[in-house]
Amino acid sequence: YPLFQLGGPQLRIFRPNFFMLAVRPGVPQPEDTVQFRVSMEMTKVDIKNYLEKIYNVPVAAVRTRIQYGANNKRNHKNQRVKKPDYKVAYVQLGQGQTFQFPNLFPEKEQDAEARSFDDFKDKYMEREKQRQKGDPRRGGVPDWFGL
Amino acid sequence: MAAAVAMAALCRRFTAALRLSGARPGSTLAGLPGLRLNLFHKNLAKAEPLHQLKFLHTTLSRKGLEEFFDDPRNWGEKTVKSGDAWNIKQLRGKSSEDLHKLWYVLLKEKNMLLTLEQESKRQLKPMPSPERLEKVEKSMKNIDLVVKEREIALRLLQTGHEKPVPGEWRHDFLGRTYWYSYKEWPIPWYLNKKYKRRKFYYLPHVDRFIRLRLEKSLRIKARRQNLERTRQKVLERKFPHLAVKSQSQ
Repeated sequence: YPLFQLGGPQLRIFRPNFFMLAVRPGVPQPEDTVQFRVSMEMTKVDIKNYLEKIYNVPVAAVRTRIQYGANNKRNHKNQRVKKPDYKVAYVQLGQGQTFQFPNLFPEKEQDAEARSFDDFKDKYMEREKQRQKGDPRRGGVPDWFGL
Repeated sequence: MAAAVAMAALCRRFTAALRLSGARPGSTLAGLPGLRLNLFHKNLAKAEPLHQLKFLHTTLSRKGLEEFFDDPRNWGEKTVKSGDAWNIKQLRGKSSEDLHKLWYVLLKEKNMLLTLEQESKRQLKPMPSPERLEKVEKSMKNIDLVVKEREIALRLLQTGHEKPVPGEWRHDFLGRTYWYSYKEWPIPWYLNKKYKRRKFYYLPHVDRFIRLRLEKSLRIKARRQNLERTRQKVLERKFPHLAVKSQSQ
């Protein structure tokens, strides 16, 4: 971005490439607070303008923090695998609006194909379990034992 | 870093056309009479008069935050149908305004898909149709390319320069040659301690390593060409009827 000096023009970005995704808060938040994961380079002012201009959402306050992604998992080569860092923004909506994170995976009735597949799966599992059980004449003991 | 995100031409055009006394685009206060403009929806320039809501107490439409989620009819589905990504050829035919609007539509779609991805990871369920993300990213990249092409063309006509930032070929201390583009500094170079520590020349003992690097690159190139030739010969042996008939003089 061009350097800013006192008296210079305001920086305007015409096609912002910054993403912002809404997340379900892990800790229960107040009614008017929405939790977002934003790009690391965004500031509180940026987030406020982004939401107001692109999504037409009135914003009262924004608080941000950077979440450090852990680096202690190891892959098959024993190299450390880093989980990416991300910035979390807690946005409080203006004008008394409230927001509740919706349930995006409600139970839907399965179609005939899915139901028949589920039936087939259950029957197969039952047959496998029957085969695993030992001979009922010997008291259910597995064949490994005895003569 | 950006202090403001402004949609200059689009905003100005709409606000100029529909400005009323005291009304701001996007102002959704129930008490203020005026027009409210929903700039970033598919059917643009739809102005809704607000004065009926003067004495009603309602939560204003959460149409803003609802755009972070898909159509409620698609929640819980296993797959969601979606069209193909935007091609560069299709985008070249669109005007700059259309591309600008499309960019924001795609940006909101990408935000929605990322939200869905994160939620699916949280709920340990498979995300419905993850290929939509790739399509959106490809479309956005294509728009960027088209806009860059247009900018370069305009700049060439106006100034004669191709690149937005001037630069020059420079060496680094390892003897490699690279394009150094000029950076903006508030101080001249002779006061810039970090810049003075950078060396844009190499000492004579580096010549040997330049030669070694050259030999390595030549070997890689030769290996690649030989591989290509042997592959071609194998194919010609296996499928002689498909061999390209060389033009004999």
